[in-house]
Amino acid sequence: MADLRTEEFVVNMGPQHPSTHGVCRLVLTMDGEKVVKIEPVIGYLHRAIEKVCENRTYMQCIPILDRFEYVTSMSCNYVFSLATERIAEMEVPERAEYLRVIMLELNRIASHLLFYGVTAMDIGALTPFLYGLRERELIIDLFEMTCGQRLTYNYIRIGGVSRDIPKEFEPKCREAIKIISEKMADYEGLLNENPIWLKRTKGVAVLPKELAIAYGVSGPVLRASGVQYDLRKNDPYCIYDRFDFDIPVGQNGDCFDRYMLRLNEIRESIKIITQALDGLPEGDIKNKKSRMTYKAPAGETYTRIENSRGEMGIYLISDGGKKPLRVKAKGASFNHIQVLPHFGTNMFIADLVANFATLDVIMPEVDR
Amino acid sequence: MTRQELASYIVEKYGDLMKPLESGKYDPLFVVEVDKLVDIAQKLKDDENLKFDYFCNLCGVDTNENFEAVYNVASITKNLRLDFKVILPYDKAEVESLQSVWPAIGWYEREMWELYGINVKNHGNLTRFLLPDDWDQGFPMRKNWDAPDFKRMPEK
Repeated sequence: MADLRTEEFVVNMGPQHPSTHGVCRLVLTMDGEKVVKIEPVIGYLHRAIEKVCENRTYMQCIPILDRFEYVTSMSCNYVFSLATERIAEMEVPERAEYLRVIMLELNRIASHLLFYGVTAMDIGALTPFLYGLRERELIIDLFEMTCGQRLTYNYIRIGGVSRDIPKEFEPKCREAIKIISEKMADYEGLLNENPIWLKRTKGVAVLPKELAIAYGVSGPVLRASGVQYDLRKNDPYCIYDRFDFDIPVGQNGDCFDRYMLRLNEIRESIKIITQALDGLPEGDIKNKKSRMTYKAPAGETYTRIENSRGEMGIYLISDGGKKPLRVKAKGASFNHIQVLPHFGTNMFIADLVANFATLDVIMPEVDR
Repeated sequence: MTRQELASYIVEKYGDLMKPLESGKYDPLFVVEVDKLVDIAQKLKDDENLKFDYFCNLCGVDTNENFEAVYNVASITKNLRLDFKVILPYDKAEVESLQSVWPAIGWYEREMWELYGINVKNHGNLTRFLLPDDWDQGFPMRKNWDAPDFKRMPEK
């Protein structure tokens, strides 16, 4: 046995692989069951969104940017609108700001519920997927009621939102968040004490704090590594500074912390939504200047918001014309895939799946 | 430090290297000389009062007159945000890689090289990753790029 030799070999994981959440290819150099080297190959979903935006008016950019990160389309709508509003120094009515917060946070919960489901499914538990999607449906129904769409909303517009919420929204929304906050115990009860789940996630794929900061990791993944950095608090936008909520922070930066942190974020989002619904004022939902032919004055800015996956940014340059000169979209997943080869090696291929799932990477955001 | 304080701090301390730009809205925007780029980036990261340790985004731009590369950085420890850009003439589109300062910039520089044809010196891994491997239709994000007639492209 002493002179047993092993030989490295290459395994192609993806592009069509259920646990890569889209079309990402990982070229893995393996030594038996251990991953020695990871080489991510991206670009399968490149749709040239940035180039398309250069040939559209400002308002026409919003539905295209919906596709930039389709699980949280509200954030995509919002970050572009916010960028334009900052260049134009445009006022947004109070009611619109509250509606935006409600929608953004509902979208965050929907995204985290999807994360909860698919992560558990990747690791081999099917029930959480059904639980997660069942409650996500309640939120999707609220969006459908408001803007007619279930996935790509085109709801938040420059200077406001596209339409007011219907009368039945508020009771339905309160009911939905009540159901979700009650079900949180179920979600945790299903996994948190499950020995298989703990073995698959605790201490697996630890992302050190320094590496996370060096590679621009953001959002729940960064906070799970112990860095308290949330743009809603650290670089406040919209009206987040008016609400009382906490930023959950992890300790170890392992898969379990990344999973737990997102569940805790759902609780915080519920707090924000409750406060926003209580304080929702009457009034306009759109700035009078917000029209389909809206033109921004010349200027440029980098705008970033806290999306469910991390920092979502738009670098917008306007030359005062009908169309933006440049729209650069940054998604957090781009950095998360980039950092993967630096901490995802020297573990079993099954742990890589758990690691990839808890990074919550979404490919359209990477390839744009 | 507020945005105004940050802008005046930089003008005071690095005024000879970084010039403020009016076009930047919200967060301060500066323009720097291309040959001082690495030097400035390192200084911004090491400065005790700034500590720009976090790289957000790199944006290549074609303004119809020249290229630009805009660097968006942030500081987690000091909670600051700053943008700075270099202006690159069409015939000398080349920047130095900043991977030694912010490792996160690697893929962003690759993307800028691939889509704009802005060369990045000392990068070490300038390969295609968004476009197809056999792409030979130029740099698609340039303003003078003509979309090829994909329907008529010959079968390979």
